[in-house]
Amino acid sequence: MLRFLTRRVLGAAVILVLISLVTYLLFFALPSDPALLSCGKNCTPSNIAQIHKNLGLDKPIIVQWWDYLIGIFGGRHLPLGNCPAPCFGLSFNNQTPVWALLKDRYPTTLSLAIGGSFIFLVVGVGLGLVSAWKQGSVFDRAASSVSLLGQSVQIYFIGPLAIYLLSYKLGWLNRGQDPSWGAHPGSSLTGLVLPCLVMSVIFWSNYSRQTRSLMVEQLSEEHVRTARAKGMGSRYVFLRYALRGAMGPIITIFGIDLGSVFGGAIITEATFGLHGLGNLAVSAVTQQDLPLEMGVMLIGATSIVIFNIIVDACYALIDPRIRLA
Amino acid sequence: MKKRRAYSAAAVLSVGALALSACSSGNGGGGGSSNPSGGSTTAASTAKVQTITVGTAADSVGPAPAVAGAKKGGTAIDLEPAGINHLDPAEAYVNQEQVIGQLFSRQLTNYKIDPTTGKTTLVGDLATDTGTSSDGGKTWTFHLKDGLKWQDGTAITSDQVKYGIERLFSSFETAGPQYLQQWLTGQSDFRKVYGGPQGGKSLPDSVLATPDDKTIVFHFKTPHADAPYAMALSGSGPILKAKDTGPKYDTAPFSDGPYVVSSYKPGKALELTRNKYWDAKTDPIRGAFPDKWDIQLGVEQPGLTQRLEQQSGSDKDAVSLVQSADPTQMSVLAASQYKSRLESNYQPFVDVFNINVSRIKNVKVRQAIIYAFPMQQVQTALGGPQQGELGTNLIGPTVSGFKPSDPYGKLTKPLGDPEKAKELLKEAGVKNLHLSFAYSNSGQRWANVATTLKNSFAKAGITLDAKAIDPTAYYTLIGKTNNPYDLYRTGWGSDWPNASTVIPPTQDGRLVADDDPNYSHLNDPKVNSEIDRISKITDLTQQAAEWQTLAETIMKTDAPEIPYLYDKYYNVYGDGLGGISYNSAYGTINPNTIYVK
Amino acid sequence: MTSPSKAAAESAGSLTLDPEGGNPDSGQKRAAELVGRSPRQLAWIRFKRDKVGMLCAVVVAGFVLIAIFAPLIVKLYGQNAYSLYGQDDGLLNAYGLPIKPNGGIDGTHWFGIEPHLGRDVFALLIYGIRTSLGVALCVTILSVLLGVTVGLVQGYIGGRTDYFVGRASDLMMSFPQQLFFIAFTPVILSLFVKPGDNEPTYLRFTALVLVQFVLGWMSLGRLVRAQVLSLREREYIEAAKLSGASSSRIIRKELLPNLWTTILVQSTLLVPVNVTAEAGLSFLGVGMQQPTPDWGLMFQDAAANYQSDLTYMFFPGIAMVIFVVAFNLLGDSVRDALDPKTIR
Repeated sequence: MLRFLTRRVLGAAVILVLISLVTYLLFFALPSDPALLSCGKNCTPSNIAQIHKNLGLDKPIIVQWWDYLIGIFGGRHLPLGNCPAPCFGLSFNNQTPVWALLKDRYPTTLSLAIGGSFIFLVVGVGLGLVSAWKQGSVFDRAASSVSLLGQSVQIYFIGPLAIYLLSYKLGWLNRGQDPSWGAHPGSSLTGLVLPCLVMSVIFWSNYSRQTRSLMVEQLSEEHVRTARAKGMGSRYVFLRYALRGAMGPIITIFGIDLGSVFGGAIITEATFGLHGLGNLAVSAVTQQDLPLEMGVMLIGATSIVIFNIIVDACYALIDPRIRLA
Repeated sequence: MKKRRAYSAAAVLSVGALALSACSSGNGGGGGSSNPSGGSTTAASTAKVQTITVGTAADSVGPAPAVAGAKKGGTAIDLEPAGINHLDPAEAYVNQEQVIGQLFSRQLTNYKIDPTTGKTTLVGDLATDTGTSSDGGKTWTFHLKDGLKWQDGTAITSDQVKYGIERLFSSFETAGPQYLQQWLTGQSDFRKVYGGPQGGKSLPDSVLATPDDKTIVFHFKTPHADAPYAMALSGSGPILKAKDTGPKYDTAPFSDGPYVVSSYKPGKALELTRNKYWDAKTDPIRGAFPDKWDIQLGVEQPGLTQRLEQQSGSDKDAVSLVQSADPTQMSVLAASQYKSRLESNYQPFVDVFNINVSRIKNVKVRQAIIYAFPMQQVQTALGGPQQGELGTNLIGPTVSGFKPSDPYGKLTKPLGDPEKAKELLKEAGVKNLHLSFAYSNSGQRWANVATTLKNSFAKAGITLDAKAIDPTAYYTLIGKTNNPYDLYRTGWGSDWPNASTVIPPTQDGRLVADDDPNYSHLNDPKVNSEIDRISKITDLTQQAAEWQTLAETIMKTDAPEIPYLYDKYYNVYGDGLGGISYNSAYGTINPNTIYVK
Repeated sequence: MTSPSKAAAESAGSLTLDPEGGNPDSGQKRAAELVGRSPRQLAWIRFKRDKVGMLCAVVVAGFVLIAIFAPLIVKLYGQNAYSLYGQDDGLLNAYGLPIKPNGGIDGTHWFGIEPHLGRDVFALLIYGIRTSLGVALCVTILSVLLGVTVGLVQGYIGGRTDYFVGRASDLMMSFPQQLFFIAFTPVILSLFVKPGDNEPTYLRFTALVLVQFVLGWMSLGRLVRAQVLSLREREYIEAAKLSGASSSRIIRKELLPNLWTTILVQSTLLVPVNVTAEAGLSFLGVGMQQPTPDWGLMFQDAAANYQSDLTYMFFPGIAMVIFVVAFNLLGDSVRDALDPKTIR
């Protein structure tokens, strides 16, 4: 296990370094000059040169990238101020350390991710289990249809509809608000209900469909049938044998989804006006804020990579047949 | 000029322009948009033109004029669609930064606004008056008031003002206005002369003198009659050297205004609480009624407008100081229930389409384009009449000396005059005119405009090739003097209500260079010499009138731009707020008279 | 975030990958011996029996036909997707909203007109299918081609090639997808078009296809690799090798036929994923641009105006739901038909 983890973590580090390099190089493939966003009305050549110097854009790209990478661990002294480790640079836009911005925005993303994934996992897997248990029943068919529909709608369609109906017309739910758990735990909770619900709708349907078909498949497996033949209670077999067999793929999907959700849900945040990593990512791209773009890209990639490792590790724990080769 | 804060994603304001005005959806918020929008001429125009005058020493005495019914206390909420880029007053150039900055920084002069009549007067803020000039307008002297203090109780002295001005030269101060730096050194590349106070160097007394603790004397290289206005720019105030944190000041400024920055989360929230050392008796401008300002940043449209409409919970004490209502909300806001809490007023921005003079050299062709231009349809495509009124003048209605002028009869034929355009093209001997039109594809609005323009120009026999440019590259590309486009939109606003901040920067052909705001590349020697002559006039009223005449002449004889919209602020505010007034110099709601009911 | 249907596509693969899931071919082969029908015939028979599957196939075919014959349909209908009816015929009020109720629905404009520009929604929707489906199909075809090739090469050659290609696909999979799209679509565009040159619509189309394709091929590649790895060890492949068959023959005649199930099912499931992703990009403002009719742009417009013109949102919304449901169900049916072992 330890060897597995070491190897995977090293591999992940290489991937992250490469991603940062790709991001850097592609950023400079754009024809536009970020300095133009900082010169106001005074875009004289001398002012632009000064800005290039301030932002460190006067150095060769590869040197900039290397400095950036080293700075993550060692911190940096930049023309516009100090940037203590972990230094993801100073935002071009407001000279704030990117790390501080990420830390400020992460609670929103985290709350959304945890709230949303809790709902979609519980509801999705729960529905799937009940459907598999009562195969062919009315409940099963209704759940399947709803799941199918849920899987086919998009946040940019049901999001505005939900706001219109539940918030604007009926006034039942808050239209979406950033959480600040320390100061206002109450409104933090109500502000997240709608976004979490809507986000989970499009996810849970997938889980219920997958869970159902996996369980049905598992129940027809030989070891499960054997267990039942041995006279074990059907509920016990259902949960102990079949569910265990179905867990693997579910965890895989969950890992993939979590990785991306923790990296920031751009469309959900945009629809509900939340300020998480997704929102930060969009402003980084549109304001050509390279350090910020790097920071968000790296955070997103890191969560994807980490969850991949976790998934693989869990897989091995659940299914002893899989060796961590 | 003052930039308008663009809304989130699309934003990317660069070069002076009135940002892209719009919107975004780059961020997915939905095709949203913001700023100016147009509408038909029939729209009820509630906007009034406000002439700003220069006040006397008596006007400059605090406290600020009483607001009927005002009481102290409560928390006022400000909803802003974008983040604030700069809190350092020296970096403030966008009207959002300026108006919010007023709450925690003071300048030598500033705008005093009567809450009932809206009458706006330039008065001394830290200074006892708007300054006295000598030496033919080259030397300006200001005296500081008594009892001025920083947020830690330190007294404000003239050498701190001098330090504040010197700090404008620092290498990291790149975004703010550069008038004072250029006037003091006579150089556009002023850092060659003086690089800021960081190395311990100071500007000599022959340039900027502080004969005593209360007096500061500016020695400009040339006469500048509008120096009192320049002293109202955010950077024209003191900085306490011991509290100068360099670039970090931009996120944590030290206050000499009625509020201090108690917490700041860039792009998300800014909280201002009372500064106990601020003395209302010294301040003729700021009423500072609420105990706290809760400034919420990055509130996306149209959600921002909807929150103000619904005013549920604490939103009843909310206002958007800078942001107009989302164009999609115009029909909602037309309902009578919003009438009592609606503010509609001109902003100092004029939206124009530049005709690239270096590509379209024949003035008749340019005039034909102006005739063919469908003002009203563009206005409609942008949203509705409430956010911007059809305008035909290079100088907007908030600028002193403004007189409506319409040499091409655009207002009588707002849908364009394709016949007249065809006629002129025939005279010019041009057949099958192809125009390349560049627009920033920040959301749908400008793409809609492109579609509309294509349609209307076709009626005049002009083929329009619309070229969408990524919003981040828009100003880079149209800013090039050899850009391959014939028509592109920009916006320009005055820095203060004198056209000296409009006509010279946008029309002086000697300035034409990459990224220069003379986007149409007009270089008419007659215009250039007029600019020189008018700039020297020391009587501001006369100067204003002459700028207006010049602007009309430029439109008639050179036709380098198609001004089409005077932007407006148009939005609702929460019922829980009173004393709403408007700052037409910034084009924002004036926070200084607002109180929480 | 990944769209959930993407995860679905991946997990669907993991079904076939399940060690206990059996090999799709063996069951079919045995059946073939008994009845004397080819597996393909069997699959077709099974598919014909699946009523839902047939219905979905009809719906999908309908969408494809509409896309192909969009100009004809629109011509018969009498309104086109580019004219600004609202502005020209005075169907919009001063706020740019349709004057008639329900988004301006009437006998001429069956689905109403869009706010602000006033184009015909029905025509937009019909033409929008072309754009959305076109992008999605191109992405799918490219992704499948590359995914299968890479998977085959990796699985068959193995060794170092396998390792390095595998790490490259790890790298691609670690990019946050949406962020990658919004950050790099402009980059890809700028590589093709010199700044300032006119940007033809097909280029944006190409750029969108490319940017989605770059991150779209890995999951299929992995599935194919895993299958090839297990097939490689089979006796019949060994036998073919011993009998001196060339690599290309082995790949074409022995390996590929066994991969069809995976490829077909995956491609069917990839299409709706790509359609929604394309619409998402346009919704975020980095996809297609006006005046090109596109579902994502309609969503973008509708989401901005939902408060004053809610009707408009339902047309692209419902069309998209029908489309995705049909494709997803079709994918399931195809899998059932080709791989009867997986009972759903």
